[in-house]
Amino acid sequence: MASPSLRAPWRIGVDVGGTFTDMVLRDSAGAVHIFKSPSVPADPSQGVLGVLRLAAEQLDLPLSALLRDCALFVHGSTVATNTILEKKGAKVGLLTTEGFRDSLEIRRGIRENQWDHRAPFPEVLAPRYLRQPVRGRIGADGKELVPLAVEDVDAAAKLFADEGVESVAVCLFNSFLDGAHEQSVGTRLGKTSVGKWVSLSSEVMPTMGEYERGSTAVVNAYVAPKVTSYLRALDEQLRQLGLPRSLLLLQSNGGAVSVDQVAARPVMLVLSGPAAGVGALKGCADPGEPANLVSMEIGGTSCDVMVMAKGDVPVTDALVIDGYHLTTPSVEIHTVGAGGGTIAWVDAAGLLHVGPQGAGARPGPAAYGFGGENPTVTDAQLVLGRLKPGPLAGGVVLDAELARAAVETKLAKPLGLSVEDAAAGVIRLLEQNLLHAVERLSIERGHNPATFTLVAAGGAGPMHGSVVAGALGCRRALLPRAAGAFCAMGMLQSDIRQDYLKVFLADLDKVEPAALEQAFAELEARAGDFAVREREVDLRYEGQQWPVRVSFKGTDTKAARKTFEAEHQRLFGHIQPTGRIDITALRVVGRDPLDWTPPAARAGRTDKPTPRETRKVWLDPAHGWQDVPVYAGVDLTPGCTLDGPLLIEERTTTAFVGPRDRLEVDPRDDFIVHIGARS
Amino acid sequence: MTPEKTPELDPVTLALVQNRLDHISLQMGWVMTRTARSPIFSQSHDFSCFISDAHGTLISQADGIPIHTGGGGFAVRSILRDFKDAIAPEDVFLLNDPYTAGGNHLPDWVIARPVFVGGKLIAFTCNRAHQADIGGGAAGTYNSAATEIFHEGIRLPVLKLIEGGKIRADLWKLLLLNTRLPEALEGDLHAMIGSTRIGAERLILLVEELGVDRAGGFFEGVLAHADRRFQSCIARLAEGVWKAEEPVDNDCFGPIDGRIAVTLTVKDRKLVVDFAGTSPQVKGFKNSSVANSTSAVFMSLASFFEPDLPKNEGAFRSVEIRLPEGTLVNARPPAPMTMNTVFVAHEIIHAMWKALEQALPERASAGWSKAVHAVTAGLKPDGGRYVMYQWAGAPAGGGVEGRDGFHLIGHLITLGGLTLPNLETYEQLYPVRFKRQELRTDTAGPGRFRGGAGCDYEVEMFTPADYAFRGEGVGAPSSYGSAGGRAGSGGEVILMLADGEKINAPKYGVVRHGPASYRALSPGGGGYGDPATRDPAHVLRDVRDGIVSRTSAERDYRVAIAADGRSVDAERTRTLRALQP
Repeated sequence: MASPSLRAPWRIGVDVGGTFTDMVLRDSAGAVHIFKSPSVPADPSQGVLGVLRLAAEQLDLPLSALLRDCALFVHGSTVATNTILEKKGAKVGLLTTEGFRDSLEIRRGIRENQWDHRAPFPEVLAPRYLRQPVRGRIGADGKELVPLAVEDVDAAAKLFADEGVESVAVCLFNSFLDGAHEQSVGTRLGKTSVGKWVSLSSEVMPTMGEYERGSTAVVNAYVAPKVTSYLRALDEQLRQLGLPRSLLLLQSNGGAVSVDQVAARPVMLVLSGPAAGVGALKGCADPGEPANLVSMEIGGTSCDVMVMAKGDVPVTDALVIDGYHLTTPSVEIHTVGAGGGTIAWVDAAGLLHVGPQGAGARPGPAAYGFGGENPTVTDAQLVLGRLKPGPLAGGVVLDAELARAAVETKLAKPLGLSVEDAAAGVIRLLEQNLLHAVERLSIERGHNPATFTLVAAGGAGPMHGSVVAGALGCRRALLPRAAGAFCAMGMLQSDIRQDYLKVFLADLDKVEPAALEQAFAELEARAGDFAVREREVDLRYEGQQWPVRVSFKGTDTKAARKTFEAEHQRLFGHIQPTGRIDITALRVVGRDPLDWTPPAARAGRTDKPTPRETRKVWLDPAHGWQDVPVYAGVDLTPGCTLDGPLLIEERTTTAFVGPRDRLEVDPRDDFIVHIGARS
Repeated sequence: MTPEKTPELDPVTLALVQNRLDHISLQMGWVMTRTARSPIFSQSHDFSCFISDAHGTLISQADGIPIHTGGGGFAVRSILRDFKDAIAPEDVFLLNDPYTAGGNHLPDWVIARPVFVGGKLIAFTCNRAHQADIGGGAAGTYNSAATEIFHEGIRLPVLKLIEGGKIRADLWKLLLLNTRLPEALEGDLHAMIGSTRIGAERLILLVEELGVDRAGGFFEGVLAHADRRFQSCIARLAEGVWKAEEPVDNDCFGPIDGRIAVTLTVKDRKLVVDFAGTSPQVKGFKNSSVANSTSAVFMSLASFFEPDLPKNEGAFRSVEIRLPEGTLVNARPPAPMTMNTVFVAHEIIHAMWKALEQALPERASAGWSKAVHAVTAGLKPDGGRYVMYQWAGAPAGGGVEGRDGFHLIGHLITLGGLTLPNLETYEQLYPVRFKRQELRTDTAGPGRFRGGAGCDYEVEMFTPADYAFRGEGVGAPSSYGSAGGRAGSGGEVILMLADGEKINAPKYGVVRHGPASYRALSPGGGGYGDPATRDPAHVLRDVRDGIVSRTSAERDYRVAIAADGRSVDAERTRTLRALQP
């Protein structure tokens, strides 16, 4: 890359993925630079430093200068997630109220797929012999019924020390109402040899429900020693190399926080990478625009779907990671096994399936030549002429003959189809899976996706955006030029954000305004450092299981009822005009909005760009095979419009524009596809 | 490009149609979960959404409680029988009667919406869901004192609830008058109706895309594919005649010497399931209906084989089920039958699994224990009524090759699809205080993969309440061992009254008591495989965890634990395991 002159200060976002570590730098003039280098799974910080060194080299700057002029360094770290997936966390002991030490292992009997009853539960993170009971009880009204037996804490601490416990979680019954007993346990533990890492459930996340709250505290305890140490070391290292301020970490709620802020609750980092989709989506709209966007970020093996309605991506309290339940505030993401490496197969009774299994990075698609024999989506794209054979990033070479052979042997022959028809079937099924994934999340949130713009990101997204948007009835699809570094880009646009919650049970119409105000004031005091503090309240009709979260002004319960009813009508199609509405929780979102400006506009061009080549490509069932122009992304500049069908080859992705669609390069240099608008 | 392929049923479109149908029935379920009023739907998922073709053959049921699998067609076929040509667009039907309307038991109400494209009936989108209360002799639908179906709630033949888009107000009022919880019923009915509307809208789009004349061919293609899938399962079974029995030891009033008997004939890729030899119908409410017995058989087959078998009636075309009339599996009216989706469904599945085990040993599943929990109904301090299921005292699962039984799991008939409550949440909802929910010791059925332990559960009930007992798991072991494993221990239910009186709860019955302490010891699940071959490291962990005692470790598993309690005494274990049994 040529070394352009950067205007200081700049921002850096670094996203660590399974294969690549992505970095995006944006300078004060709005110029964007993208870098990719291999991840180092054994020590992710090496991957971070690696991509920084690569950037420094390509920008012709000393590393110290690159860091010195960095005003904001946001990092999406998979270290918490991988600690869980690889089962490399701490040895955890758990203290619970006497009589309830098994909630964690009973796990409410929740099974992911009930029909698959032969699949075991995931291994419990604190075994029963390390789950120790403590006498004492907080009642259902939050008052102490039985005082805490501190001698039980001492006995457990001794047992934990003998057993080599490295991190302790505490989840006492009803502590979401009053954390005093947990505080006492924490203080007591602090005086023992196992007091270095203590996770209190009422501090980690004081939600109602002993199973999920306890599970969250245990996962926090499980990841804390490793994750917190890692982040502190990385921060220290970057500071020594010249970074003037602490790095920020992206949390599952889509907001960033400092290392210090997240140190006590590293469980908040479980969705650290994908949650950056929120910032990335924000970047797809104008500042402050109440945009309606639905995104599918498609990588090698999976597709993450996210909905932004009126500029807002919903944050929920429910997250499952590898079978472990968390109640941390998390951006709502629906993930399905549908990506470039997803395997197509024919079942014993002759039906074609695509996924959910993937071929992974090794052996990967058959075309990689690493010994994979199963045909994947990438192989089908090669057969259909949509991907070009030859070298890819990261040293992979796509071999079209291997792709063709796999599709023929495993699909075409058993189905009695030609190789081309079988490959087309794979793409149609994959795109149906994508459509279903988007519909699922939209329906669950009560949105009509046809009124949204579909954002197709991730390395494999822009290949499918135009078709899936058409099937959804959307008018537009947005294919980001930097689709392959979508999340790293999002990190530069994420607000600083922290969520605060208090369980508060009351009848909305009868609640004392003073009590409400006091409870909110307590939460706001905890969020005192933030520039913006937004009140929210969880409401539900009596007897319902799941509350609806609505914004709340002052203590205006009448307005809250109206907002709730409108939201309930939208989500569920009906309301109960005289039904009792229960408050279940109060929330305050603390936010420091990050000012950001859209990337600098690139100079437009008026002359028609020339395709670099023309290829025979399968388009869709109606159009079959046609000669399709293939453009180099760099030739397409703002203002350019072209009729489909066409392909665009960009640095991190290949985009497909359908035969009925029209491409426009928008002022910020991204690709907009107007569905069905071919001139 | 390939000349011999049929244009109508090209395999790619067939795959797309199969996925789309399942997606539509899932969508209906998401709408139901989100919109229903009663926690039984949002939390326990006690409903199923399904689609049948125009002939009443189930073509998709991707979502829902397993014991509803495959039974939906009976309901739709009853609608077709009763209304024939009087089925019109914007009609919606309602039914529940197991004797006359294709219902499985009275609390499960079916909402069915005929779907028309271009004036042609092409399908029904349906939702079968367990209502919170339907009148009858006990609150909460389960009247264990019932001796006739008339004691169990309102019976609904096939009714046109919505005619040409208009709710029949008189009928609606009749329904609400016959429940103790009219608000819940009303909210839930609206949710059910809404879910079938969404299903119909999506289905119409699909059929329009395919062409109304071609759609039926694809539906048939989906059924034929499922048939081929299941035939490949049957092919794994050893040909022959396989017999099994599961005891039924009470009629809800007293002990009986009853049984579910099943004879499985595997021949030429066909499976005949004959219940000849099953005991006559009984006095109490465990008698099964045709729809429920058929569902139980389908569920036992689907769960025995592959989790992703298509759940449509095509999958069971090669299965013939014989249900002798007047027996536990096909009672004559007016026998009561509300309990049948749990018991005798549980017994039917156990009998089926035992028979299947003989024909394909490696897929065997040890028995799951039976529930002991009561349903309590009482008054809150503010005078409001409440119904609380004591789910938290749930039974245990059985072991299979590769995994131990689940310690606490919501019912065999849900295969664990029932989510158990958080006790903190229940303390906010009901006038109770929980004392304990802890795993038991030496109750898990020993095996190479042992059963689940069950739990010791106790709750203090502050106000007077009606206790509807259903203690099938009380007393003798209710699970069974497989392939050399053994049954788990039996369960127990004890009520301690305020005056200190201790009552051992009956298996069935509704009794009112004042403030009391309710304790349930739920039974253990069955073990799979010879316990003396269990990995000693797993036995050590169980001993450390207090699930298995040292005594049981030595006696049942033949594993000796070292004096420090932290390691296996390898030498003594070798000696123990060398002994002949």
